[in-house]
Amino acid sequence: MTALIAVLLLLAAGVWFGATVDAVAEAAVAGRPVRTALAAPFRRTALMLSRQAIETEHPDTLNHLLAPACYLVLAAAGLSVVPFAPGVAVTDIATGLVLWGACEALVVVVVFLNGWSANAPLPLIGGYRYVAIGLPAMLISMFVLIGTALPAQSLGVSAVVESQRVLINAVRQPLGLPLFLLLGLSITLRGPFNYGDSADLVGGTQAEVAGVQRLLWRGAKLAMLTAFSAMAATVFLGGYLGPVLPGPAWLVLKTALVMLMLVAITHLVARVPPARMLTWLWTVLLPLSFVDLVWAGLEAMR
Amino acid sequence: MALLGQLASPSSWPTSWPQRAPFLGGGDQTVHAWQRYHVRYYSMTLLFIAFEMEMMFMYPWAVVFVAEGMKAMVEMGMFLAILSVGIVYGWREGIFRWQ
Amino acid sequence: MAMTALARMAARAPVPVFVATGQGWLASCRNLAASVDVAVVTNIREAAILIVAGEPRDEDRDALRRLHDQMPHPRATAWWGARPFAEAGSAIEVSATDDPGPLLRSAFAALLARVRESEPDWLPDDPPNPWQGEGDHGQGGKGMMGGTPYGRPMAMTADDLRDGLALDSFTFTIGPFYPSLPPGLALELTLQGDVIQSARVVRPPLDPGEDAAGACRSMTVGRMLRLLELDALARRCEAVPVEDRDAVNGLKRWIGASCAMRAIPKGLGRLAGDDARARFTRMVAALGDAEASSIAGPGGRLVDLLPGLEWNEALLVINSFSHRDLVALAPREMEQEEDSEGSAEQREGHGI
Repeated sequence: MTALIAVLLLLAAGVWFGATVDAVAEAAVAGRPVRTALAAPFRRTALMLSRQAIETEHPDTLNHLLAPACYLVLAAAGLSVVPFAPGVAVTDIATGLVLWGACEALVVVVVFLNGWSANAPLPLIGGYRYVAIGLPAMLISMFVLIGTALPAQSLGVSAVVESQRVLINAVRQPLGLPLFLLLGLSITLRGPFNYGDSADLVGGTQAEVAGVQRLLWRGAKLAMLTAFSAMAATVFLGGYLGPVLPGPAWLVLKTALVMLMLVAITHLVARVPPARMLTWLWTVLLPLSFVDLVWAGLEAMR
Repeated sequence: MALLGQLASPSSWPTSWPQRAPFLGGGDQTVHAWQRYHVRYYSMTLLFIAFEMEMMFMYPWAVVFVAEGMKAMVEMGMFLAILSVGIVYGWREGIFRWQ
Repeated sequence: MAMTALARMAARAPVPVFVATGQGWLASCRNLAASVDVAVVTNIREAAILIVAGEPRDEDRDALRRLHDQMPHPRATAWWGARPFAEAGSAIEVSATDDPGPLLRSAFAALLARVRESEPDWLPDDPPNPWQGEGDHGQGGKGMMGGTPYGRPMAMTADDLRDGLALDSFTFTIGPFYPSLPPGLALELTLQGDVIQSARVVRPPLDPGEDAAGACRSMTVGRMLRLLELDALARRCEAVPVEDRDAVNGLKRWIGASCAMRAIPKGLGRLAGDDARARFTRMVAALGDAEASSIAGPGGRLVDLLPGLEWNEALLVINSFSHRDLVALAPREMEQEEDSEGSAEQREGHGI
């Protein structure tokens, strides 16, 4: 029960924190006043709530409503495997990494459905394009996650945390965290991996939604950003482990750190065209994840 | 509260037909967007399935890896090497290009 | 009570505006990009106020009507140095030389508080095509695809130009107000998936004039940055004062650090020995210069460069040319077939 409340609190706090940091970073890079950016998330939320939600020409209504809802549920389900303290997790199962992997995979389906359901050309292109990049990005993340399971000798997330008592995985497997962050950008549709909601498609899968629907999709993306950051903090930065402060405080701090990294990359790094990224994913990044796995294996046997 | 209110009661403005038209910067379309879409990366998805299957073997492998030691390492190394040949072949055939 | 608190909170957000580019687009876009009162959005579904920046071309009037009607309620239109349409009702009018910021702010607050009435549609509330199906969902009828389900026909098959696979080809017009295309440019594109099969210029880009090269370049670089998913940097670029050396050099450093040039594949959109990456690199280097730079005698057609390119690549190619070069590369094409919006008498004597 405490764990469930903690998950919901962390999600809510993460959505607020992510929106604020995003607005501040955007204002800083754009050269606009940063102070007003602090209140921007609330104002934008109020604005989206007071406007009309548009229906497209004969949308696939069921999927149109389900896509943002499922995205949100996947974020919550993914976060549920993260332990806040030893033994305190909503789903403290021995196959936590597999459950997280399933959530990742379903994000591809949800984003595609969001693009498909509008029955409009630009969201449709966004949906199909996202699948091309989302699939191989997911493979890479699973290889690096398996790498963290090797020293833990378990697929349970708690065991992965405990295996980092001496040295955190970010140091022990230096390729792991950078590769995993790529997946974070991909499943939250951000910056250099934003192939679903891209600007060249004026918003891609969300190009046709307005008002409260746009708010839901944006909220779901930020919830997924929170869930991903908490997972990255747990698997690579030692999660609740740390001196002096209580465990949950360390988890929150580390989660915030990962979020900051992702937001900075979002606004500072250019995105390449999809065909080029697809080639890089398969011929450079996937082999790198093999190297990470071998590295993790040799290190675990030491 | 406001969110729930909005969701419960449909907005006071019903969507009209001109509003429903897809946004194309003032442009227009004559046919439905839903179509038999030409996905350019279909051959890549086949390669993806090969790796996805491989992932299933990796879950149990990861748990017993430290116990089995070098033997497990060599086994997975062989497996990945074979799949890597697949990547190289696919690359040579141009399956990662948008064609 | 709750509603008014919500409206007050919402009214403090920057006014989301979409700019419909008429003849006065360049000065207006630069002004709005630097304004803290407004946030220029690239999608009409996010906008609350449509700004008509300068008199629109006669042939763009129907596109403007379509655009207006897609904006969600509550909404309004501001005519900045343009005459309102007869159907516009209670329009916000701003003279070309005035700053629209305060007017937009007060209109926005009035809209949200429901003091100002939201604008009704300018087009009749009819489905795009008459219903032609036989069954409940428009299915049935003659031929493989049946009638016109849900008021539009389905796409029909055609051979793909790359692999000859016969899947649906999808034709639509895009522009003249599409934010990732140069202002005024409208294209008719035929796609298979997201690859362009054929392209035709429906409307040429608006001519920015000889003396506006510096300001125009920063808008073009901004569009390129947005195509590379660097929206915040694009905003900085669009607002940068061209005569401020420090600001321009700072911007160039940001762009260089973001790998924006290297993100564009080599050899893309080659024309007269230059590819898109080289053109963009030169354009960024020339930011802050007032004089125009032109590729030596382009002597090609934009529409010949596009077939076979993926959506993102095609837009990168289009925006890699300076605006003036594009005016030369994308001339108005002679059209035999009917053009749905520009009727013959409208086009007469209304060249730009």
